[in-house]
Amino acid sequence: MPHLPHHDKLSGICIAMVVLLTMMTITAEAGTVSASYLYSLSDHAGDILYEGGKIFVDPEMNEAYVISNNTVTVFNRTGLEVYRFGENNNLGIIADLALMQNGNILLLSYSRDYRNYQVLLCNYRGEPTRAIEISGVPAGLGDFRPGHIAYYQGRIYLVDQVRLLAVIADEHGQIERHYDIFRILNVKKKDRVNAQMDGFSLDRDGSMLFTLPVMFTACRLSLDEKMDCFGQPGGAKGRFNVISDIITDNRGNYLVADKLKSVVNIYDKEFTFLEAFGYRGAGPGNLTVPLRLGIDSRDRVYVVQSGRRGISVFSLHYN
Amino acid sequence: MVMTLMAILINTEKTVSAFHSGGVGPCDACHVMHGTSGSGSALLRGSDPSSTCLHCHERPGSIGPSGHHISTPASDMQQGMPPRQLTPGGDFGWLRKIYIWVPDVSQAPATSYGDQHGHNIVAADYSYLPDALHAAAPRGTYPSASLTCISCHDPHGRYRRNIDGTTMTNGNPIGSSGSYVSSADPQSITSVGVYRLLGGKNYQPRSVAGNLAFLNDPPVAVAPDEYNRSEAASQTRVAYGTGMSEWCQNCHPGMHPVAGSGAPRTHPVGITGRIGSAVANAYNSYVRTGDLTGSAATSFLSLVPFEEGVSDIASLKAHAGTDGSFAAGPDPVSSQVMCLTCHRAHASGWNEALRWNTRTEYIVYNGLYSQEAQAYQPYGQGRTELEAQKAYYDIPSGTFAVNQDSLCHKCHTGALP
Ligand code: HEC
Ligand code: HEC
Ligand code: HEC
Ligand code: HEC
Ligand code: HEC
Ligand code: HEC
Repeated sequence: MPHLPHHDKLSGICIAMVVLLTMMTITAEAGTVSASYLYSLSDHAGDILYEGGKIFVDPEMNEAYVISNNTVTVFNRTGLEVYRFGENNNLGIIADLALMQNGNILLLSYSRDYRNYQVLLCNYRGEPTRAIEISGVPAGLGDFRPGHIAYYQGRIYLVDQVRLLAVIADEHGQIERHYDIFRILNVKKKDRVNAQMDGFSLDRDGSMLFTLPVMFTACRLSLDEKMDCFGQPGGAKGRFNVISDIITDNRGNYLVADKLKSVVNIYDKEFTFLEAFGYRGAGPGNLTVPLRLGIDSRDRVYVVQSGRRGISVFSLHYN
Repeated sequence: MVMTLMAILINTEKTVSAFHSGGVGPCDACHVMHGTSGSGSALLRGSDPSSTCLHCHERPGSIGPSGHHISTPASDMQQGMPPRQLTPGGDFGWLRKIYIWVPDVSQAPATSYGDQHGHNIVAADYSYLPDALHAAAPRGTYPSASLTCISCHDPHGRYRRNIDGTTMTNGNPIGSSGSYVSSADPQSITSVGVYRLLGGKNYQPRSVAGNLAFLNDPPVAVAPDEYNRSEAASQTRVAYGTGMSEWCQNCHPGMHPVAGSGAPRTHPVGITGRIGSAVANAYNSYVRTGDLTGSAATSFLSLVPFEEGVSDIASLKAHAGTDGSFAAGPDPVSSQVMCLTCHRAHASGWNEALRWNTRTEYIVYNGLYSQEAQAYQPYGQGRTELEAQKAYYDIPSGTFAVNQDSLCHKCHTGALP
């Protein structure tokens, strides 16, 4: 399957040509990876009927952190709730979190009126130890309002999903680099307000992965500004309807959730479609509007859903 | 197959990210055309049409008002926190908020249910359920169980505004949205979408049974390019032209104010609701309770908008905006009251999707919108200050009097008629 450089992606006529091409050449290497449903995240009373929320899975401890209703709930490696924090609003409005190697938590939160954000350094129990002052936000890029935070080898990533602006700071909060994704993607000014980013996560080398659902596009942006995007609209397997989150698995494949199809698609490193799992339905392994994804070191995929379907955990098998 | 392919070809040639572009967007955003298991009505893959829309119109984790988002998920709104979007139509998230308060020592607790806060769109994937309090549209027959986004908006955006000002579903192709200040004007070979893709004459979703076809065309109005924003520093002014009340009457025909009928809960609207010079003077001089020193050029209040009574798009474009440069009050001859003078189209923080709380004596009491944390809350009615302030689109409470009366008085000085 052709690998789309992003500039082509932005030209309607080229897309149309590629669509024609791929219509004829699409071949899915099905069967190389499959997924089986294991369980849903639960507490002592049973499965928790989450409706949405964010998830971060700690690959060291294989624990899952779920943010919903301004509360962070921690689940152990078997999917049982073990701990929660933030529920008394003492940490502000929690937007996202990331884990540092030493088990400390970086929390991105907003003041109650959403005017100001802060990055809080918390211990593993979610108790704040101090705020990390973010400094050096590049001027002229407007009001920076991050919605995602990530951490990779001593670097803090903050991403504004509306302005498509990513910054990378050191552990003291000093911004070292920034990425004006609209500029890199060459999106026209008037188109920008509608092209909001949905999912965001880090690739295994610190590259950024994100989705632009209204553009039917998922992208990988390397630290040296190499942008690779893929995706074409369509109902066929592997095509995009309305996508949400993107993550990498432990082997360098990419998982992209599709809300309309209600599936999680799996692509290889070259963005070639491999397999999809889920599908709308009432069965335990079915999905309803997958919104967020996480993965642990045991190849267990966590799928946060809408429609009060909670968070389903699947096991990936490779052959 | 050929159809699908053609549609993709046509649609991907549009601009990158304008999605509906005033007409039909790429089919694949709403339909799974082939190749997957299971089936849905009209090949939709949401549980229902509204869920299909909310895949894009609700963005979980959105931290503030921006773009086309008109719903806040429950997971982003814990107790005491308001919905996050501030569009003129309003955030459907208010339907998820229930308020209970004790008015005073002698009274039982009072309740404002989520279902009372606006149009209960049915969207199972997003936990929006049919209205439990109204079986059908009040003063109409449209069943609440069938109320979805596509009851009002045509998902295929077929209604278009032509160069001669007429509205129709066929004819020239739709070039772009016609909703905004920066929208293109219709040309002799291309038309533009009607305001907000709303349904017009004869509109009725195929999946809804019964004789419910609309009798009236969409309203004429223009929204500012940036319409989902906090009004803390400046107001968002939609320039409503004509036809909004008649459009609402497609489903609420009995809300039609029959002169002298004496029916409760009707207010003169449209042509019968012409503001006239006496009421225009009242609107213009009213600043806040006890302050009637306002002037015609600066009297506009986005919480009490009116229709200009014109369908001239150029002048509406000149009046819509967010920088406050056009803040004039009603024209004494042409302006008129409309349903959205008092209501929001989707939902609000108050009962009946009203723009302000009409069920309290004071919308601001003791300088605050709420009576958060007090034992008795006759005025604040169970909302936190943050919730009440969002319900007023972040307009600072200090804009109003320390004890501020209902905004009906913007037009009716003294006692209400
Ligand atoms: C914004 C979402 C959206 C888009 C884009 C869209 N549709 Fe639809 N479509 C719907 C919905 C919702 C219905 C269901 C209508 C109902 O329930 O009555 C529907 C129904 C239909 C039907 C059944 C007949 C009817 O009119 O009800 C056909 C055929 C159809 N769509 C074709 C298309 C084609 C072809 C395209 C692309 C050119 C397209 N649609 C784009 C949302 C959409
Ligand atoms: C793929 C994402 C997507 C889906 C699905 C979607 N929308 Fe939209 N919608 C957008 C975007 C982006 C905009 C703003 C740009 C535009 O108007 O094209 C928008 C704008 C709108 C507007 C304002 C348009 C104007 O011209 O004033 C309305 C009304 C609307 N959508 C209704 C709906 C309804 C109803 C549905 C479901 C039948 C729906 N949308 C489905 C993305 C979507
Ligand atoms: C009862 C009719 C009705 C229903 C139901 C409805 N809308 Fe609207 N919508 C309107 C009207 C009228 C406006 C224009 C409001 C204004 O300008 O004051 C509007 C405006 C909008 C806008 C522009 C932003 C705004 O709020 O002003 C979007 C986007 C939109 N609607 C999407 C939707 C979606 C998605 C749904 C379903 C979840 C929906 N609407 C349900 C009538 C409706
Ligand atoms: C497609 C039909 C339809 C249209 C058009 C429509 N409504 Fe409604 N409306 C309903 C239905 C059905 C209900 C009852 C269900 C509910 O309250 O959610 C309702 C309820 C209401 C309510 C009571 C809400 C509550 O929470 O109790 C108000 C107020 C209202 N409509 C105002 C309007 C206004 C103003 C407009 C025009 C902008 C409008 N409606 C256009 C169908 C419609
Ligand atoms: C001057 C302000 C005003 C105007 C204009 C107005 N309304 Fe209302 N409406 C209200 C108030 C206030 C209520 C709350 C009920 C009451 O106090 O009578 C209400 C209630 C309603 C209800 C709920 C009725 C019920 O039985 O639950 C509907 C539906 C409604 N209005 C629709 C409309 C429509 C449609 C229009 C335009 C034709 C309109 N309104 C114009 C102020 C207004
Ligand atoms: C934008 C201006 C405006 C606002 C706001 C407004 N009205 Fe009116 N009202 C009018 C006009 C114009 C008339 C008809 C002419 C007149 O009676 O002066 C009217 C008439 C009335 C009448 C007499 C109705 C009749 O049939 O004779 C009542 C009662 C009334 N309004 C109550 C209210 C209430 C209650 C509110 C607040 C919920 C309200 N009005 C808000 C402009 C307004």
